[in-house]
Amino acid sequence: MTAATGGGHAGGVTEMVIDIQALTKRYPRGVTALDGLTVRFAPGITGLIGANGAGKSTLIKILLGLVPPTSGRASVLGHDTATSGDWVRGHTGYMPEHDCLPPDVSGTEFVTHLGRMSGLPRTAARERAAESLRHVGLYEERYRMIGGYSTGMKQRVKLAQTLVGDPRLLLLDEPTTGLDPGGRTAMLDLIARIGGEFGISIVISSHLLGEVERICDHLVALEAGALLRADTITSFTSTRQVLAVEVDEGLPELAAELARRGASCRPDGRVLLVQLDGEATYDLIRDAIADLGLPLNRLEQRRRQVAELFADQPELEATR
Amino acid sequence: MTTGVIHDLGYQHYDGPRLGRPAIVRALAWHSLRSAFGLGRGARAKIVPVLVFVIMCLPAVVNAVTTAGGHGRLFPYDTYVFRLRALMMTIFVAAQAPELMSRDLRSHVLPLYLSRPLRRLDYPLAKFLAFTAACLLLIEIPLLLLYLGTIVNAGGWAAIWAQTRALFPGLLIGVLWAVLLAAGGLAIASCTGRRAYATGAIAIYFFLTWTLASILIGVGGGPKGLAGAPLAARLAGLISPVTVLEGVRQWLGGTSPSPVPPPGSLGAVYGVMLLALLAASLGWLAVRYLRAGLS
Repeated sequence: MTAATGGGHAGGVTEMVIDIQALTKRYPRGVTALDGLTVRFAPGITGLIGANGAGKSTLIKILLGLVPPTSGRASVLGHDTATSGDWVRGHTGYMPEHDCLPPDVSGTEFVTHLGRMSGLPRTAARERAAESLRHVGLYEERYRMIGGYSTGMKQRVKLAQTLVGDPRLLLLDEPTTGLDPGGRTAMLDLIARIGGEFGISIVISSHLLGEVERICDHLVALEAGALLRADTITSFTSTRQVLAVEVDEGLPELAAELARRGASCRPDGRVLLVQLDGEATYDLIRDAIADLGLPLNRLEQRRRQVAELFADQPELEATR
Repeated sequence: MTTGVIHDLGYQHYDGPRLGRPAIVRALAWHSLRSAFGLGRGARAKIVPVLVFVIMCLPAVVNAVTTAGGHGRLFPYDTYVFRLRALMMTIFVAAQAPELMSRDLRSHVLPLYLSRPLRRLDYPLAKFLAFTAACLLLIEIPLLLLYLGTIVNAGGWAAIWAQTRALFPGLLIGVLWAVLLAAGGLAIASCTGRRAYATGAIAIYFFLTWTLASILIGVGGGPKGLAGAPLAARLAGLISPVTVLEGVRQWLGGTSPSPVPPPGSLGAVYGVMLLALLAASLGWLAVRYLRAGLS
């Protein structure tokens, strides 16, 4: 597939979806929410991760042009958010974390109204509302009152209202809040589909690292209003494969034996995590276990969780 | 990407026109005007607006019947039926202003508006325009019916012209009513997401103060004695938006009898009070929505 269909999407050089330069936001009471943040978001799905108070919500407010930065600048799709807030909001869909749906209107009515509020004429709003609800899997239930929807359905209405205005960027604030594990998986699959098949760039704000990394192309981690790390998901994980080895007994002996043979490993509960350095590591583990005569239960390749990777950066932690 | 395939249910981009902010504000105002009358809602939401409209029109209908019987016009254009109008409009505003404001607060819909092209003050502006229009319809349509019922039975162009000239000041007073009621009602309703509280507070603002003003006017010497009511009675009208409107009407030259004594030399004070109430209401709405955030 070449250039995306419709919408006048700029071709040529890969355009950054979000470009943030030395962005600082101080609130009147002396709270510094963002502290000289410089980061760029490439097209695709980006996880915006950080603990509560790391500056995620302030960043979203600035990106939507709702709050002026104290200094620095932010642009979305090439438009400065401080001066072209209207345009940015017209081409961005925002999904709030918290409940934001009236109970006494139907899904169709609600999304149609918000389509009109995005600037669509009446007929177009109605058509795109039906389309958006179909894309999130609520076509059958669209005439029912929202008050009768389940939590998962409500989350999907919130997602549908972001799509109704045909945005080029979605800002999703904790989109899996309140969902059970099955609901989370379904929601993330849906978001991955929107980012992949629909060609809409997505920023997912979350404090749950392990969850978003599955569907993200990039990660941007904030801490105390500054950039902790920004990179592609592959560079976060590809070089950092580990093998999990589980034996019924003799874990300390195995650890000592592997260390003697030159593998870097550390125990993690009932398993031993061994740094994977190519095929040789498998042979090394096999030989060590065979020589010690230990009963091997499990040997599996494990992608390390992003959470661990951030913990691997003591020098950055120390700068707090 | 294939195009024109019937079974292709993939994502479609929107290539049609995108309306600007003024059109979006208009759409929101229209939506709000409809919900002020319960349109697009269930049958229960229409009870109060329909009842208020019917009752407001009753005097005009009675007038049409009696003028057909040869009598003169029953009610003045500048006051219509003061007590009925004040009571019915208070009921309408107390019931429907929360429908426009508190509902969105209750369900936390505001972030969805704020994240769209609308600017912060566009939302209260659209609501104010819509609710003023709703109040105008309820106040001016009965006046127009009163006028029509009268001129149908009037003899000659001179009589019709006289009625028309008398009607216009009445319509103007109706605009003052609509603007003040809508601003006050919306400002109070924007304070809480609980409709019952908002309704109660609006009833207090318009109705309880009016009752209080009536009592004080009575104690202070009553509305009698057009030449010069006692100062206390003339001041008492300032405590309620409803009696302020009556004071301003008389200050502007309205001569129809009123339960509120003519303000006399205090006329300008009533005018200032009207503007102050309006400014406070609209100012509060502006501050309220300038401060609104995404959560």
